[in-house]
Amino acid sequence: MKNDKRIFILTEAVLGILVIILAFLMFREKNGQDEQKISVIVQNSEDSQWHAFKYGLAMAAEDHEIELYIVSTGEMLTASQEKALMEDEIAYGADAIIVQPAPGEETEQMLKEMQNKVPIMLVESASLQNGEESEIPLTAPDYYAMGKALAEEMVKDYGKNLKGKSVLILSQAGESEAAEQGEKGIMEVLGNTGVQISRSVWDSSEISKEDFMKRQPKADLVVALDDTTLTAAGEYSAVNSLHGAVVYGVGKSTEAVYYLDTRAVECLVVPDEFNVGYQSLTETAESLKHSFYEMRDRNVEYTVIRRETLFSKQNQEILFTMSQ
Amino acid sequence: MIAFSVISVSIMLILGIVMYVRFSNSARQDTIQSTQKLMEQTGEYLEDYLISMRQISDAVYYNVIKNDFFEGQEDIQRGMNLLYEANSDNLRSIAIYNNHGSLVAAEPVASQKEDPDVTKQEWYVQAMAEMENMHFSTPHIENLFDDGTSRYYWVISLSRVVELTDNGDSHLGVLLVDMDYSSISRLMNQINELNNGQYFFLCDSNGEIIYHPRQMQISDGIYKENNETVAQYKEGIYEERFEGERRKVIVNSISYTGWKLVGVIPYSTFTSGMADIQYFIVMIMLLMGMMLVIINRVVSDRISSPIRKLNHSVMEYEAGKKPEIYIGGSLEIRHLGWSIQNSYEQIDSLMKTIVQKQNERRKNEIDALQSQINPHFLYNALDSITWMIEGGRNDDAAFMISQLAKLFRISLSKGNTIITVKDELQHAKSYMNIQKVRYKNAFAVTFDIDPEIETYCAVKLTLQPILENAINYGVSSMDDCGEISVSGKMEDGKIILAVADNGIGMSEEEVRFVLTDSNRIHKHGSGVGLVNVNSRIQLLFGKEYGLLVESEPDEGTRVSICIPAIPYTEENRKTLEKGYIFDEEEVKPLYADAMERVKKNEE
Repeated sequence: MKNDKRIFILTEAVLGILVIILAFLMFREKNGQDEQKISVIVQNSEDSQWHAFKYGLAMAAEDHEIELYIVSTGEMLTASQEKALMEDEIAYGADAIIVQPAPGEETEQMLKEMQNKVPIMLVESASLQNGEESEIPLTAPDYYAMGKALAEEMVKDYGKNLKGKSVLILSQAGESEAAEQGEKGIMEVLGNTGVQISRSVWDSSEISKEDFMKRQPKADLVVALDDTTLTAAGEYSAVNSLHGAVVYGVGKSTEAVYYLDTRAVECLVVPDEFNVGYQSLTETAESLKHSFYEMRDRNVEYTVIRRETLFSKQNQEILFTMSQ
Repeated sequence: MIAFSVISVSIMLILGIVMYVRFSNSARQDTIQSTQKLMEQTGEYLEDYLISMRQISDAVYYNVIKNDFFEGQEDIQRGMNLLYEANSDNLRSIAIYNNHGSLVAAEPVASQKEDPDVTKQEWYVQAMAEMENMHFSTPHIENLFDDGTSRYYWVISLSRVVELTDNGDSHLGVLLVDMDYSSISRLMNQINELNNGQYFFLCDSNGEIIYHPRQMQISDGIYKENNETVAQYKEGIYEERFEGERRKVIVNSISYTGWKLVGVIPYSTFTSGMADIQYFIVMIMLLMGMMLVIINRVVSDRISSPIRKLNHSVMEYEAGKKPEIYIGGSLEIRHLGWSIQNSYEQIDSLMKTIVQKQNERRKNEIDALQSQINPHFLYNALDSITWMIEGGRNDDAAFMISQLAKLFRISLSKGNTIITVKDELQHAKSYMNIQKVRYKNAFAVTFDIDPEIETYCAVKLTLQPILENAINYGVSSMDDCGEISVSGKMEDGKIILAVADNGIGMSEEEVRFVLTDSNRIHKHGSGVGLVNVNSRIQLLFGKEYGLLVESEPDEGTRVSICIPAIPYTEENRKTLEKGYIFDEEEVKPLYADAMERVKKNEE
């Protein structure tokens, strides 16, 4: 009799527990599962160069059901400012962070510390350590290959006439690693062509765009290794012809394309920013969904665009992502 | 109960499945219908939008361009401006190109890009290829004007060949109306906001995607769409399997353009939409299960409770208690209860009768035993008296008669079976006196009795048969050296009366059978001696009491009577004679009380 009573209570208890679990599941279903949050920190995040990147992020966030925050930032973030922003985002509930590393030697240490708190994915940067594999995964184009592609386009345009021409390489202070890689690529191709190469780094916190461009020495060819210096060179070239220099460069904004379209720039190498955003967020989302998933480096493609091919079907899609 | 539960659970399961299938079919139908409705509305909106664009094109062609460009350039520009301003929300530009691809007029007025080479642009080529039709292009970047904003606009071009008149000369040209793609993408984005896996896309008759929520993923190869196959479908609902996923595809054609608005409902959408119903049905089934278990419990309790109570009362009865037999529950169980109660009452009654009969039988048995003694002894005594009278020994005869009178007085004892130890000893003494006369003092008799035991109960006529045996088997054949000693003492709450002789004794085998087999030793006397005495003592005091026979051949025999020390009172006597047997625990306090009284008397 006692056994019978025990079985009755046990059966009722099991059924009761199942009802409670089911009610909980129904409640959760009704309220929707909490989406995981990923924050994105890039320098000067409102700049038009990030449109395609942000579009890629948004598409990936939709596909992976991730809540996406893009932190509004200014130019030239320092490592400590970046750290403060990351800590704020973690405090606001970010489960992972996609970040463009700030320039400076202390950044790597800071990012490693932050990686202990949440998964971190780097974007728009060359490897943090020179030549060595970084411990933090990175989604970026191959800057070295892009520099090489730019130089090859120059060789296509000038051939043997390159000899004796002066080449001015422009880069932005905050993107020293990427610029370094790009320059290596250029030197790989132009090193033995007899060109005279000079370099100029623009620190926007110290000198205005106009003054920087005015101060540049006369050169036959200008190579801008990032979108900011390219649009600056394009703008100056459009207005002041930049001492007749022909501009080549890496661009990812509609402004850069516009200067190509209006002949202020001769050739553009455009990284697939849509995929930088999409792949970086996909990789980060996977690491959040699967506990044992190890994030990997993702390398994205780039496209060489000239005025003649600007409105080809493939390039129109690149423009489409930039225009979002 | 198990069968009932299985049937109930099966019915619940069937009900649940039927409910789920019915709900899911209905929900699936609802989803398809609502999707169709949404697509119809969207299609209508798109058609209205495209018609309005066609109307703009018609208005430009038939109302504006009819003027001679040479004479009416300003009127043409004004007319185009009016139309553009009226529809600027949806329009990017209106432009007219001549048959060489040169810009004739455009609104809004903007500087044309340096050599856009319109003759190679798709909209121009299409218009020129099929002059009689209007052509809608797929979305593309407008590559005609430079508004100085460094922005690029995504447009859908509506182009047609028009006849232009310039200074009286008519020649062909192309009228281009560039529609803002964002108007269409905004609308499509709105209907794609459902976050349940269902989505809508727009493609042209060749399957070229005009809008898709994952447009870039498709062009990057991250995502795949069955657009080329779907473009071949006519209006309707189709079921297909694409990339391993089963899905419903609803196709809606957009008039004039050949475009297809496609709604895709993966089957996972139906199931995810059904999750609530699934949970609900499972919950209902669980709650019904809980109720069923409770009902089962209550019903089984109502059935089994009377049986359990009945069983309990029967078990109590079996344990020796006398409970009321439970009568309750259903008619059958009540009937069972009545039957059991009647049976027990009958058993009780029968038991009483049996006990009564048993008591009577025992009493008769005792009486029979006693009556077996009396004639036997009387015969012996009278034989001795006769012999004395005949021998002229009148004194001795008188002594014998007085001893015989005492003997019979005690034998009678008002018919009581239980007498005091004192009376029993007196009886033994009388008997031995008679026997001594009979045997001419051939043996000696000594009595060593603890006076303390004289007030206790003894069974009448127990010593006499033992003494008779002692004489007959022990000392009768001995010449003047036979000795019989009678002793009495208290030992551990028991009274031990012993008769010892120094006669011929018995072998071990004879001792073993002397109390168990009354047919075995019948050489002398009545033959009922020790077995009878032992039976009588055990009938009155229980199996743990009786006789103890110790004997060695040629050394003698000792027969001890062991009886409980029950003080002789009228009450105890009656109790014992009724057949009640005192157990050891009852005897102890009686013995203690008696000892107390003795002490007090001594004081």
